[in-house]
Formats: sequence, structure tokens, C-alpha cells
Amino acid sequence: MDSMTSRPPGPRRAALPALRPPAFTGRLHDARTATSVGRWLGVAFAVCFATGLVSHYLQHPPDWLANHLPARPAWGYRLTQGLHVATGLAAIVLLLVKLWTVYPRLFVWPPVRSARHALERLSVAVLVASAVFQVLTGLLNIVEWYPWPFSFVPVHFAVAWVVAGSILLHVAVKAPEITAHWGRRSEGTLALPAEDARDRRSLLLGTGAAVGVVTLTTVGQSFTPLKAFDLLAPRHPDDGPQGLPVNRTAAAAGVSVPGLRTWRLEVYGPRPYTLTLDDLWAMPRTAARLPIACVEGWSVEAHWGGVRVRDLMERAGGRPGRDALRVTSLEVSGAYRVMEMGAEYAEDPLTLLALALNGQPLALDHGYPARIIAPNRPGVLQTKWVHRLELL
Amino acid sequence: MKTASVFRYGAGALGLVLIGIGAWRLADQPDPLGVLVWLAGAVVLHDGILAPLVLAVGLLLVGRRDRGVLRGALVVAGSLVLVTLPLLVRPGAPPNPSALPLPYGRNLVIVLAAVVVVAAVVIVVRRWRRRPQRSTDGD
Repeated sequence: MDSMTSRPPGPRRAALPALRPPAFTGRLHDARTATSVGRWLGVAFAVCFATGLVSHYLQHPPDWLANHLPARPAWGYRLTQGLHVATGLAAIVLLLVKLWTVYPRLFVWPPVRSARHALERLSVAVLVASAVFQVLTGLLNIVEWYPWPFSFVPVHFAVAWVVAGSILLHVAVKAPEITAHWGRRSEGTLALPAEDARDRRSLLLGTGAAVGVVTLTTVGQSFTPLKAFDLLAPRHPDDGPQGLPVNRTAAAAGVSVPGLRTWRLEVYGPRPYTLTLDDLWAMPRTAARLPIACVEGWSVEAHWGGVRVRDLMERAGGRPGRDALRVTSLEVSGAYRVMEMGAEYAEDPLTLLALALNGQPLALDHGYPARIIAPNRPGVLQTKWVHRLELL
Repeated sequence: MKTASVFRYGAGALGLVLIGIGAWRLADQPDPLGVLVWLAGAVVLHDGILAPLVLAVGLLLVGRRDRGVLRGALVVAGSLVLVTLPLLVRPGAPPNPSALPLPYGRNLVIVLAAVVVVAAVVIVVRRWRRRPQRSTDGD
């Protein structure tokens, strides 16, 4: 790592010895250590980028893709978004250790040797800024803390491209050094002091332990077999009404019980109709065991009971497999008040207008009287307090 | 050009394209300057505060016995504190009753205590293994 330094130009250097760059006498600030940690960091960022793209395009598909987003595997989004947050947390540790190994390069003298050197330093500055920014904003987002003046989702998405691009560029620039230090017996590694090898292994072991402990104490929020170790994650999979966490409460959405007295489900299509809650409960019900998986990383599987969306569509004259669906919530405002689901989701026999959760009617915070639950879908699109379905 | 350099220059060019896509998306934001301030702030936070702090702590370990274990324990503990810090200092009430439901301060202390115990055990075991061997057997 290095980035912009504000040091006096060359000639003044002799006159101001106090401003000389600091000398680093510590060990392991070398290319072998940087390569060893860097490749794990590269893997973590690659997983974050790929799973982030999955999440983005599941939520904002281009028109040509919307009807072909796959509804299976049912656990798909649970896996990708759980990985996104877990590898993001691991990347915090790896990034800081990686930056520690190369920190002395921030103070190279002279700060700029040539145009090429200047460009290289600029590219590293972009990499450091975007990578630190990305893990920091991600970390604050999972605790729902937004101290910045911009909107998290589009900015985190935009900076992800900058991070991915600067890593590729960095790997391309450093390719000869990376190759020379790739293995224990590589040429560059052998040129380093042999007595550092043991110390390096110990540092890598410590780094691995840090990644392991951070993962173990947080991953239980999505990987429920480890929920007993979920000590430091922003969510616990059992904590919430009916044993399931909530992202947006009815109070926050402006939905209240008195307002639901006149609730009807309106279904629009070639043969529009309206149902009362009793009508819905009287329809053939399907049970499904599906996860609810939040963009913030937590996820839990639950038992849902309700009416198949495809049955409701067919009754309105829809063609499952060909028609998409627009779902409108009772919530007063919010980015996800109106949700559209592609034909593959709407057709899937596991996609329900759920009325019950874990054997009980839905709690108000879980979307009473009726909510959508569909396989392989981000939690924000599992619309709650549904009151209108429209065939598209 | 050799295959390796084709890949190298190809990766570099692709990297520039991806950075361009990101920059173009950022420029499209209502307040791109606000993002730039935070990007620069991220560098200042790391290069100006966090890294010097870590190096200062590192100086305390120079030449110590069991330096590797102590450093490992500090890396683990530091990572845990960093990851938990937002949960502890976040202003305002949690956004809803099921968000941030755990006693994070207490849990962090428990995990840090476990790290200390494990590090202590490792140090004791290693010292015991490396104790001067008196050969009383084999004669």
C-alpha cells in the first residue's frame, strides 16, 4: 500500500532532516508476506463482488432478465448473501494485515520517481481508498448505521466496481513480483532472509485465527447450525416475533390493526376478483419450508403456510410461467412498497401468499394478514401486508 | 507477446474498464463529492490513525519471548474489537426490537477472555515443551 504523501520537494530535504520519511526496521514488510495474505484477500473480495452482483441483479434485474431469474435453489440467496457478509467481515481482517505488510511503501523516497511510478501510486491510492471504504460502509450497513450523506446501496454497488477494477489492475502491475513470491521455493521468496520464514508462518497463523474467530462469532446469524456461537453478529436467528427476526416493523411501515379491519385482497387480471381473509383461509393451503434471507446477511428457515401464488393468478385468468406479477403492500411509504416478481418466481409451486408462520397466523410485524414468501429471493422482496396482486 | 503478458495487459485493461464503470456510476450519484470525502476519509482513517496505532503496539512486542503468540492474540483481539465497535458505539436505539438483540459488550469481553486464555495456554505449553531436557532415560 501507499498513497499520496505531502512531503517537501527534494532540495529542502537536507535542510529539514526532521521531515525525513520514517524508517521501518520491523520484519515481514515484504513481497512474500504481501503475496500470501493478498491472495486470500483477493479470494474474499472476489466472493464479495460475485455475490454482491447476484444480490444486485436479483433486486434490480434488467428487463430481459426479469422473467428468467431462477426460483431455485430455494436456498440460493441465503447462501450467496450469507457468504457476502461473512467474506466481507473476513476481508476486514485480511485487508488490514495486507495493508500492514506494505505500509512502509507509503513513505518511499522520492515519493515519485517517474510518470509510471506516479500512476502506479495513484492506482494503489484508489485501491486503498475504495477497499477500506467498501468494508467500512458494509460493516456499518449491517448494523443499520448510516452516518454518511449518500445512499448506501447505489454507492456500495458503484465502489464495488472500483475495488474489483483496482485489484485487477494491481495484480496486473505486480504480476512479476507476485509470481516471484508465490511459493515457498519461488525465486523471490528464497532471496528474502530465511530466518523470516518461521515468523511469517506465525503471522499468517495469527491472521487465520483472527478470520476464524470473527467468522465463528458472527456467521451463526445466517449459518444456523453455528447459532450457539453467534455472540457478535447484528442479528440472532431466533430473536424476533414467532422466533424470526424482523427487518421492518409494522409501526415503521405505518401499518396498524385498526387499518386492517376492511382488508381485502384485490387480484387484477383478465378476471379480477376480491377475497376476504376468511376466503383466503378457506382456499387450499400449501406448506413450505423456506428461508427468509435479508440483504444484511442474516437468514433463517421457517415453516410457512398459505395459498400458492400461481393458484391465485390462474383464478384471475393468468398464465403461470408466462405472466409476471406486481405486488403492492399496505405500507404507506418505502422503496419496497411495490414489488414485481418475474414469471419463474410467480409460477414456482413454493411461492406463497403466506398466512401462517411456524403454525400460527402471521404476526403483524411479519406481514399480517398476508405476505409473499418465495424461494431464492432477497428478504426485501418478500413483501409484507400484501393487499393487491396484478398480473403483468 | 507472450501469453503471460497478454493476460497481464488484458487484466490491467479490464481493471481500468471496471474502475471506469464504478466512477461513472459514482458520478451519477446526487452527491458524488460526499462520496469522495468519505473515500479520502477512509485513507486518512487507515493510513493516519489505524496503521500508526498498530505499528506502535508492534513496537512493544519487539524482542519479547513468545512474540508470535502475543502478536497472534493481538491480531485476533483487535479484529474482534473492530468488528464489534459499530455495534457498541452506534448512536440511537436499534431500528427494531429484533435488530442488535445481543449484549455485545458482555459478549465481546467473554470472547476476548477466551482469546487471552487460549494464548496463555499456548505459551505455557510451548515453554514446557522447550524446557531444557534432562536425559534420564535410555541409559
